[in-house]
Amino acid sequence: MSEALTPVEAPPPAPGRGGRDTVRTVVRGVGQLLITVGVVVLLFVVYEVYVTDLFGSQKQAAATEAIDQVWAGAEATTTDTVVVTDPNQLVTDPRQRTPKYETLSGEGFAKLYIPAFGADYRFTIVEGTNSDDLYIGPGHYSGTQMPGQQGNFAVAGHRVSKGSPFNDLGLLASCDAVVVETQDDWFVYRVLPMQEEEAGWDGTQHAHCAGVGVQTGQYAGVYGREITVPTDYAQVLPVPHVDSTAVPPDAERVITLTTCHPQFSDRERMIIHGVLTQSYAKAPGFLPPELGEG
Amino acid sequence: MYVWIWRRLPGPTAVKWLQALGLFLAVVALLFFVVFPWLEPYLPFDRMSTD
Repeated sequence: MSEALTPVEAPPPAPGRGGRDTVRTVVRGVGQLLITVGVVVLLFVVYEVYVTDLFGSQKQAAATEAIDQVWAGAEATTTDTVVVTDPNQLVTDPRQRTPKYETLSGEGFAKLYIPAFGADYRFTIVEGTNSDDLYIGPGHYSGTQMPGQQGNFAVAGHRVSKGSPFNDLGLLASCDAVVVETQDDWFVYRVLPMQEEEAGWDGTQHAHCAGVGVQTGQYAGVYGREITVPTDYAQVLPVPHVDSTAVPPDAERVITLTTCHPQFSDRERMIIHGVLTQSYAKAPGFLPPELGEG
Repeated sequence: MYVWIWRRLPGPTAVKWLQALGLFLAVVALLFFVVFPWLEPYLPFDRMSTD
């Protein structure tokens, strides 16, 4: 590249020198172009894997701050100042609870905790699943049910980039807790048995598996983890795999997490299904014991 | 192309390097803030919802 060397490198004046110069210019131009393209592609990888994480975590922090303010405002209006920290006193029947909050597209309305991914794993869930919503954090499929309700609370999240909230969904095991916090409630879901565990499933083998069992009836074939095609929208319908948006009267309370699969690709989707096993009313200073499962 | 740019940068070699670095960073910023965000939705890397 250094022009100072050109006089030394230049061939002695001879007939046809002009033609050789043209060839050299073209070859050098193509070489530089290829190097440039390579650098741009590498920069795109850096952007996708690292830079969008930075942008996404800023958006996520802003959404979390917003929902914390909303919740703090709602809490201040309650007159209940009795400190209750015994989980058993706060256990609620989800049938008695109805959401008292509204959701706006692109704004947070709940928080997601997965203790198996560490005590610091928490994301604010926003309403909606378009690319702007999911840049902020995991997004609730509009039209699916709300946390704790009968039917399917379905959430999509990025596997890689934009904060990568769902990068580790492949590591979830059956009975792992997926905890959702809303304005007034804690909802503890647990991952369903995997397909390969179905045959010898024993719900008593593990302390955390109470209420988690192999699915039967209309839920037969719903497993803790499924790999499927991107067009499989029935995964997020009230009864997964059943092509109906109606919530049957005997519907379970299911959570569905979706992300892309395999990592760095969106050829397929990874689906996690869980069922509600416990719910608590929120109280000052109270955290569900399930959050301590590491 | 790069030779052409290098020849047109004024000043001694050290100053040229600084200017070249500035130009490179400007291009990177343009890619990160404008080009890549625009390009991203067209690439099949990270669409994760079912639809």
